[in-house]
Amino acid sequence: MKILIIGLDCAAPEILLQDQRLTNIRRLMEAGCYGRLESVIPPITVPAWMCMSTSQDPGSLGVYGFRNRSDHSYAGLKIANAKSIQELAMWDQVAREGGRSVLIGVPPSYPPRKVNGICVGCFLTPDPVADEYTHPASVKAEIANLVGEYEVDVKGFRTDRKEWLRGEIFRMSKKLFQVVRHYLANADWQYFHFVDIGLDRVHHGFWSHHDPQHVLHDPNSPFRDVIRDYYLHLDEEIGRVLELLTDDTVVLVVSDHGAQRLDGGFCVNEWLVREGLLVLNQQPKTVTAFDKLDVNWAKTKVWSEGGYYARVFFNVKGREPEGVIDQADYESFRDEIKGRLEALPDDQGKPMGTLVFKPNEIYRNLRNVPPDLIAHFGALYWRSIGGVGYGRLHIQENDTGPDDCNHAQYGAFILAASNLPLQGEVSGARLLDVGPTLLELGGYDVPSSMQGRSLVAGATRQPPSTTSADGEAIIKERLAGLGYIS
Amino acid sequence: MARIRRVVVVGFDGLDPRIFERLLANGSLPAFARVRGAGGYSRVATTLPAQTPVAWSSFATGTNPGGHGIYDFIRRDPQSYLADFSLNRFEQKNMFLPPRAVNLRRGEAVWDVLSKAGIPSAVIRCPCTFPPDDVKGHMLAGMGVPDLRGGLGTPGFYTSDPGARRGESEHLIPIQLAGDTVKTRLIGPRHPKNRADLEQAMSLRIDRAGRRVLIRVDGTDGELAAELGGWTGWIKVKFKAGLLQSMSGMVRFLLVGLDPHLELYVSPVNFDPSAALLYPISAPAEYAKELAEEVGTFYTTGMVEDHGGLNNGRFGEGAYLAQCADVMAERERMLQHELSRLRDGFIFCLFDTPDRIQHMFWRFLERDHPARLAAPVEGFDDVIEQHYRTCDAILGRVLEALDDDTLVITLSDHGFTSFRRGVHLNGWLLKEGLLALKSGVAPGEEAGEYLRSVDWARTKAYAVGIGSVYLNLRGREGEGIVTPDEAPALSQRIEDGLTGLKDPITGEVAIRGVTARSAAYSGPFAAESPDLVVRFSEGYRASWTTAVGGVPADLFEDNVKRWSGDHIVDPALVPGILLMNRSFRSEGARLVDLAPTILAALGAPRGSAMEGEELLS
Repeated sequence: MKILIIGLDCAAPEILLQDQRLTNIRRLMEAGCYGRLESVIPPITVPAWMCMSTSQDPGSLGVYGFRNRSDHSYAGLKIANAKSIQELAMWDQVAREGGRSVLIGVPPSYPPRKVNGICVGCFLTPDPVADEYTHPASVKAEIANLVGEYEVDVKGFRTDRKEWLRGEIFRMSKKLFQVVRHYLANADWQYFHFVDIGLDRVHHGFWSHHDPQHVLHDPNSPFRDVIRDYYLHLDEEIGRVLELLTDDTVVLVVSDHGAQRLDGGFCVNEWLVREGLLVLNQQPKTVTAFDKLDVNWAKTKVWSEGGYYARVFFNVKGREPEGVIDQADYESFRDEIKGRLEALPDDQGKPMGTLVFKPNEIYRNLRNVPPDLIAHFGALYWRSIGGVGYGRLHIQENDTGPDDCNHAQYGAFILAASNLPLQGEVSGARLLDVGPTLLELGGYDVPSSMQGRSLVAGATRQPPSTTSADGEAIIKERLAGLGYIS
Repeated sequence: MARIRRVVVVGFDGLDPRIFERLLANGSLPAFARVRGAGGYSRVATTLPAQTPVAWSSFATGTNPGGHGIYDFIRRDPQSYLADFSLNRFEQKNMFLPPRAVNLRRGEAVWDVLSKAGIPSAVIRCPCTFPPDDVKGHMLAGMGVPDLRGGLGTPGFYTSDPGARRGESEHLIPIQLAGDTVKTRLIGPRHPKNRADLEQAMSLRIDRAGRRVLIRVDGTDGELAAELGGWTGWIKVKFKAGLLQSMSGMVRFLLVGLDPHLELYVSPVNFDPSAALLYPISAPAEYAKELAEEVGTFYTTGMVEDHGGLNNGRFGEGAYLAQCADVMAERERMLQHELSRLRDGFIFCLFDTPDRIQHMFWRFLERDHPARLAAPVEGFDDVIEQHYRTCDAILGRVLEALDDDTLVITLSDHGFTSFRRGVHLNGWLLKEGLLALKSGVAPGEEAGEYLRSVDWARTKAYAVGIGSVYLNLRGREGEGIVTPDEAPALSQRIEDGLTGLKDPITGEVAIRGVTARSAAYSGPFAAESPDLVVRFSEGYRASWTTAVGGVPADLFEDNVKRWSGDHIVDPALVPGILLMNRSFRSEGARLVDLAPTILAALGAPRGSAMEGEELLS
């Protein structure tokens, strides 16, 4: 069976699986099974899509977010790219068994992955006009013929210019689907996987307009329906994709994580300074990004980075250049910091409900340089603010530009195939289960590196065959009531 | 004379010239007379065959059936020999897409040409417009629209009589009384996947003093009161077709009996015009809802009048006529609505009911009709004449609202005659050795329907449909044996053999002639036609069982059904009527002349495939 993955970055189950107007989506739900899909920790586009594709957790991939420490120096974070994750993915297994794949915009795929087939670079591509963002290279010209200037992202999506933002996101998405349809119809493929990043951008750009519970919600906003309209747009595009398929295809609509409102930002480094855990040589007079701070590393025990979640790093003797914490005290110190993070209050003084994770407890393996702790402030209702100089711990503005939503731990999936034995709502499905499930339904072997479990676990069924025995009964019904004949 | 800005075509299906001319002459039809006085009247030649969907399709496209592909209500798939409905089919490209309706009437309709020329149209209930064409203006689909079960109308009959037997094409639902209440169900469509009946729970409460039954359907508000003998209003129902989908329909009831048995009739489940439909019945899709808001909700099935209920004896002639009156009234409201708002362009509205009335009441014109003898009924002798007057009254109200710059055309697609004797075409082919049954299978009931028991290896020709005969052609049919070389001689043999076929009981000639396809059809869809079309004499028609591919041993049988009149005979015998309020060429008018006439009147170019000539002088 062929495999098609329709990736909708950040799709929220509360909308995707519940908006009655999404008729193509609902038809797929009816034809197969669906449910919430538990993402990885942290639930971030990089590495979540590759966690899904390889069925390995972030620690096993050695990528803990979009930006990672490359060593134990104080040099700051490096941005991940395709070369950061080379583990065996679904398309590699398909290639092992002689199949060809088409990957379009699956993060991270810049530089483009040299798959057996076609790879079109993702949103990490710096400049699709100048860069070689496709494999093979000839695909770039084909795409230019189809859509003119191809767009991989909306640069500057954290903006107040909402009218402009809406136009950019919709246009980018339409181009993506045009390219997708072209290769669906014309390329030789057994595995086809694309990701619409526009949905993630539209959530970040418009969530406060959409969600009445968002602190900044204005019920009279002219952009109230942008997010719902975008889902309708996706549903319509998905309908056009479905037109191009044959029955021998396993179809998965999936998101890497969900979306939820942001109640605000927690200034974690500001807090660490107040707690005496992060020591600065100079207190900043204005708001200053972490990498611009003058840190006294010899006295600092803990620092953190901003983002949708917080990576928390310890300054450990013998590990970091000017480490302070004794290795023997590491675990007890970590427990203490974990406890203090969990106890953090919100701007009303009530417990924020922060979730704190130890990488060694949640990942099977730890590669590269994991953070010492991962914190989801307010269970991701609060984002992490890395800058210092705000004068308070809870803020409404974002340090990287207006951003209305955070990621949610649960994305969604809809799975349909003629040999799928599951029907209706499925609970307990996890992102890492996708790989084994799709490979099994597709008739491929499942590599031992894959950590998840197949949701169909040996129970695939024969596709139903149409019998002609009931042909006459069907015709009798079609003609029932035609007065001229009975 | 004022330039024509608007053309209004009012169709009255099946009005016969002989009845019409007599009534016109005796002053019974003043509105028609007024139109004739302003312009003229003539008979109009109908199509071969004289079947409603064929005729109106030729009217719409201005071509012979070879130009639009509709030859009979019933078509067959040459590969599988399976019969199917001709007007449309459903296809499902793959398991991830919904099934879609496909209109099998092709060609370019007069409203397509008008739309291209920027001239708006309102087309109400033309046959073969499902799914509706994208038109500049509005379109409501007519004959061809299914009920929610996907057929042409499957009603239900609830009865507490344990002796009741299921009739044709209906649900028979036995009910038990618990005191004065009944718990039962409304049967809706089939589940798209597992084909089980989707149902809604329904409860009935008998109000004996009030001579009525109160009906509650699950999932709807309120109670519907069914008075004895009266059609109720509509009740809207939703059937859950699985976890996520539901289908919206509507039904109305007729309480037929209270004592000794509770007998309740329910109409087929119609698409609810106000709901979002899986298969749009109007263009634009919201038009059906807008129309329902303007004129009240209305029947949406293609075959509206419940002839099945009457045929099966579920209710009497009076109830049927009451329903027909409702249908005429709602159709008139639709027409009046469009007349009031479309001032320039083209309006078409078809009143089908005259056709159904004549089908069901022709037996009242002949004391010795087999149907009359089989089930004697009195008191309805003037129904047909009355109905022509009703049509005249409707036309009169149309004319009241009009101005000088409107061309009015009123016409029927064919005439009418008696249907007393059915001819078993497969019985004849069997007798002639041109059709063989599988060994050991006897003709008649054992052979069954839909050509099920035909031995194709020994069959040269077969009949299915209402007058269509096909050669079992090698290279075209799935198990064809007749070579292209043999075909002309075989065709001639069948033509010669059937022409002049005598009915031994009456001594009359049953079949006046047979037309070969090459003599009748040309155009892009000519290859889809039957090989031979039988032209019956008045009183005769292809038998009921022939239509569904039955193979009886005999050649003739009485038609004892209440469906006692028909028109699928030699087209020369059943022309229609044609009147316009401007003078026109009344010699040799044909249905295919109307489309060019309408286009010329509105200053639009002629459709490139159109075959007829303008009629206006």
